[in-house]
Amino acid sequence: MKPEKEHILKIVDQIISRRGGAAEAAIPILQDIQVAFNYLPQEALEHVCKITGITPSVITGISTFYSQFRHQPAGEHIIRVCTGTACHVKGSGLVFDAFKRELGLEDQQETDENGQFTMEKVACLGCCTLAPVVKIDQTTYGHVQPEKVGEIIKDFLSRKDKGELPFTGNGHDSDIQGEIRIGLGSCCVASGSLEVKSEIERTLADTRINVNVKQVGCVGICNQVPILEIVKPGEEPAFYARIKPEEVKEVLLKHFKPVGFLNRLRNSFFNKFETVLDDGAPRSFRRYLSEQRDTPLSGFLGPQMAIATENRGIVKPCDIEEYKTSGGFLALEKCLKSLSPQEVIEEIKRSGLRGRGGAGFPTGIKWQLVHDQSSESKYIICNGDEGDPGAFMDRMLLESYPFRVIEGMLIAGYATRASHGIFYIRAEYPLAVERIREAMSLCKEKGIIGDSVLGSEFTFDLKIFEGAGAFVCGEETALIASIEGERGIPGMRPPYPAVNGLWGKPTLVNNTETFSLISWIIRNGADAFNSTGTEGSKGTKVFALAGKVNRGGLIEVPMGITLRKIVEEIGGGIAGNRKFKAVQIGGPSGGCIPASLYDLPIDYETLTSVGAMMGSGGLIVLDETDCMVDIAHYFLSFTQDQSCGKCTFCRIGTRRMLELLEKIRSGKGKPEDLDLLESLAKSTQVGSLCGLGKTAPNPVLSTLKYFRHEYEAHINGICPSGRCTPLLLYRVTDDCIGCTKCAQRCPADAIAYVPYEVHQIDTEKCIKCDICRQICPVDAIKVN
Amino acid sequence: MIKLKIDHKEIEVPEGTTILVAASMLGIEIPTLCHMQGVSVHPSCMVCTVKDIVSGKLFPSCAMPVLPNMDIITDSEDLISIRKEALELLLSDHAGDCEAPCRLSCPAFMDIPRMNRLIAEGNFEKALEVVRQEIALPLILGYVCPAPCEKACRRKPIDGTVSICLLKRSTATNPDIRSRKLDIPIQKSGKRIGIIGTGPAGLSAAFYLLRMGHECVLFDQQEEAGGALRYSIKEDILPREVLDAEIEVLRMMGASFVLNSKQTLRELGKANGSRFDALVLATGSQEQHTVDELIKSADGTTRTLNRKTYETRIEGVFACGSILRDQRMAVRAGAQGKAAALNVDRFLRGMPATQEDSLFNSSIGELKEEEYVEYLKESKVNNPVNPGKGFTAGYSPEEAMEEARRCMHCDCRKPVTCKLRNLSHLYKADKKRFAGPDRKHLLKSMQHELIIYEQEKCIKCGICIEIASKASEALGLSFIGRGFDVKVSVPFNKTTLEALKTSAIECANACPTGALATKLSEENDILTVI
Repeated sequence: MKPEKEHILKIVDQIISRRGGAAEAAIPILQDIQVAFNYLPQEALEHVCKITGITPSVITGISTFYSQFRHQPAGEHIIRVCTGTACHVKGSGLVFDAFKRELGLEDQQETDENGQFTMEKVACLGCCTLAPVVKIDQTTYGHVQPEKVGEIIKDFLSRKDKGELPFTGNGHDSDIQGEIRIGLGSCCVASGSLEVKSEIERTLADTRINVNVKQVGCVGICNQVPILEIVKPGEEPAFYARIKPEEVKEVLLKHFKPVGFLNRLRNSFFNKFETVLDDGAPRSFRRYLSEQRDTPLSGFLGPQMAIATENRGIVKPCDIEEYKTSGGFLALEKCLKSLSPQEVIEEIKRSGLRGRGGAGFPTGIKWQLVHDQSSESKYIICNGDEGDPGAFMDRMLLESYPFRVIEGMLIAGYATRASHGIFYIRAEYPLAVERIREAMSLCKEKGIIGDSVLGSEFTFDLKIFEGAGAFVCGEETALIASIEGERGIPGMRPPYPAVNGLWGKPTLVNNTETFSLISWIIRNGADAFNSTGTEGSKGTKVFALAGKVNRGGLIEVPMGITLRKIVEEIGGGIAGNRKFKAVQIGGPSGGCIPASLYDLPIDYETLTSVGAMMGSGGLIVLDETDCMVDIAHYFLSFTQDQSCGKCTFCRIGTRRMLELLEKIRSGKGKPEDLDLLESLAKSTQVGSLCGLGKTAPNPVLSTLKYFRHEYEAHINGICPSGRCTPLLLYRVTDDCIGCTKCAQRCPADAIAYVPYEVHQIDTEKCIKCDICRQICPVDAIKVN
Repeated sequence: MIKLKIDHKEIEVPEGTTILVAASMLGIEIPTLCHMQGVSVHPSCMVCTVKDIVSGKLFPSCAMPVLPNMDIITDSEDLISIRKEALELLLSDHAGDCEAPCRLSCPAFMDIPRMNRLIAEGNFEKALEVVRQEIALPLILGYVCPAPCEKACRRKPIDGTVSICLLKRSTATNPDIRSRKLDIPIQKSGKRIGIIGTGPAGLSAAFYLLRMGHECVLFDQQEEAGGALRYSIKEDILPREVLDAEIEVLRMMGASFVLNSKQTLRELGKANGSRFDALVLATGSQEQHTVDELIKSADGTTRTLNRKTYETRIEGVFACGSILRDQRMAVRAGAQGKAAALNVDRFLRGMPATQEDSLFNSSIGELKEEEYVEYLKESKVNNPVNPGKGFTAGYSPEEAMEEARRCMHCDCRKPVTCKLRNLSHLYKADKKRFAGPDRKHLLKSMQHELIIYEQEKCIKCGICIEIASKASEALGLSFIGRGFDVKVSVPFNKTTLEALKTSAIECANACPTGALATKLSEENDILTVI
């Protein structure tokens, strides 16, 4: 139902009076309009142009550039199917198709007939270990199979009215028995930590057990979430992984005594009752002690090193006092009191720190460039526009360590003599925005941000700018254009932002992870940092480890670590006893590294030399069932979709490359197509202006380099990994017992209903949705 | 000031100068497509890419400022291939015809749509000029031409082809118009050319040589001039008074005819060598043995005629028409006559013969069903007009105008100035190399009274957007969408008429392709070969 025009105008007037009508307000205005109406009514846009200086040309350009903005009303609920890398390799494409079928959506249609559901693809929901993941409004469903989508929609509709219980700890009593830590990072929440949290609260209320309950940021062990840590004075902390709400009570009662006789009795009865049912061994959670060696968890954490993620799983994200007691703001204080800006820069230079955004430009040199500009006003921008499918380290850092990032920005501001800071955060990260906002207001209260930082003469203000959905805005010139209220089109460099950036002023743009390493370096000294790593790459790097490993999650490892160590020790090897094939590193800008380079130490240079890239740090492990042509196609389809459309090679070249891959993937390729693909990929590398276009061909070129035989096999009509659906053939073996399940569920009517007989698949009709294979009780469906 | 080298030449320019500007100071021209002086939106096309051999990096010269010690190369192999590839990618996303299908299928490459538009306006004299750019004998051909153009006409599947052949005839039926504007230069060259044979090839060669200021003597062994036109075509198809009337035009232009000439070609060629500065052999197929004799090669076996330049083995002797290969169509023989005439002229001016290189041409092939609507916007919707007095009499001027209005303007409005076309020609771009699986659906936006917008020809440079914005258009133009699907259009689904109140013509003139063009534009009369 469309809103009344008068209502629209009134709301727009309110928004403008709040936001103002300057050019840079355009994106926030559009965001507000969309919040109000769930889309952008044309009347609203025209009204904005009427009462502000924003022109129709500008507002049209912006509102159609950023993918966040909708020009048609959306359905009541939004179904977001994650198409991040980890989800992709686990079949999110089939899930997406299944939802479309279930809702009866045509090709380009996004909203169903009743206006109940709108479907969207999202680059990454950051729950890679639950892949494939689907989020309906605020409810996340993990490990989704195409055949389950009907149930999921039903489940969602049946529980949509249930509100969530507010989470309050029970720890203000004097006799505190210990502390319960629960991860509330996005991935934890997605896997049900809110339900666990509610259950803890309920249990504590029931039993009157008195413990501190603490929400901590991301622990990084995303494959084990929701994770619960119980800390008791004088005892080793205990971790409970993959905990379910129904298991909470039992766990708590193992560690803490209920208060009051009756309660104790009731709980012991319950405990017995459950024990009888469960043989005393709850099946789905495992208990690990943190000091224990050779357990999955210690293996996971062992080779890691926490700098950016220092105190992970211990500190509460927005507790400023706790941040301070664990060394927070000491570095800032040190800079303000005893180091000159130039000395700070020297320290950063000496640390060997390089930008963690992907290209690896030396951070100290960048700071020096900005420092040396004589301009009165300068800007510091924290680039949190992470949009890489399958990487979510920026989000985790912003959500879990907001003060650390702020401190890094403050130090950068002091060193470069800049007094304005801006957080550029992806709109898809509401929790990160919320945490940063809360942390900022706490810092203001404590005099850490403002006219006199920690009582010194240094002034620094901070603002948040929410991105509107454009991967290319990770490129610094595009990011600046976006803050200025324009389409996120990268500009020509030089001039570099360090000289001529935001509003024409010297601007330092650093990645979130870079900023989060700063305070550690200043506190512990450059030498402590540069003693880790390799010749050219110092310190640590955060990666999002996902794909076909036993244990995925966010990891922070020293530079120079080998792929083998990451996959085998941290990741616990390849899942399901399959063979390691390759690692896709660096996301859409990166490349695929084959098994032959398993012992490659990872740093900026080695990765570039093998045709990959540090990128923002996605690390997807692939096994023998992954098709490299499909992987190349997957990444290229992402960059192709995210191209801003300026340069010919990126705008049209990536599309033509994608079409060639499509052709090859469906068995229609010709040998000469490989040469054409390679030539176009190379031209696109050199003929594009910004990093997105320059690196977009990497996944294609690296797979062509190491896995050319797979491309050739496709040209001969075979997908060796059995992935590329156009080349697949489903058939029923003689094991079929004629149960008719497949015939009943086939969405394409490709299986005739013949009870007690061996069924057959009409290959002409088959859409290769894989449902029959998944539901067959006797594994009688085979794929060739 | 910044010192650098461009193509090994040193130059010093002020800081902030682009490489493009610095190069032009050295007289080095770098091709550009999306760039326009005073407009800031470039670079996007990447056609002006150059290379710095110090860093090995490539960048668009129109936007890249000079840096100290750069060593720029502007025309290496790899740059040429990058430019070519950029053009090929743009072409793969470009739906439009440079030339109309009728013109492409005309052996004489006559500018049919332009002729039609002039006829539709009632300007028969100008229409005839357009026809005579390529066709010397429009009246005659108006009777005998099998009109391959009409088979290619896009209107054919809708409600019947435009009667191009009759329209062409209509430009030359009026004797006053026919004999006016013969374009004979007052200053003669003083050169004398003998033309042997007075069929369509010989007459056509004479027509163009006369226009170039040369004297022409035409020989024929028959009693009357006309060759195959007179002796092979029946009178009820080509009335003799029509034939005579158009031969009369040549006489008016100063051609002299030596008929009943029994002189053999050998005699003419050798004995009269001193009397003529050049000879054109257009004797038709029946004289082939004589020709063999005349132009026998040194080893006495091979007949060597250059079919592309119309030169024979003997210097100053050219050949065209059925003498080369049997010609079924007078229009093709005539076209060869013109081409031979051009090389005779070059020979007389001491220049080597050339073959007319056909210009790069983008073509979309057959129209899709939905596109007929778009194309019909350009024409009057009415049924084919039949000449009231029969085919032999042809159209009255009013009938011709009515019929000409059925033409759908399939040709591009910027066939000469389109930078995409000219650069594609220059770099020999292959338009099919990256052709996508589906051709885009062509749209013609006609609401504006002054300009037309065909968005599928747009290269997304954004020049028009910036011009409209600088002109303070209330609505203006905008980029819509992003990536591959980005397009330039009018905000809020409004029309170009509402968008461009004052800057329409400026936008159209600035557009580097035929995407935005003025409705009435007719580019240069003669297509210049680049």
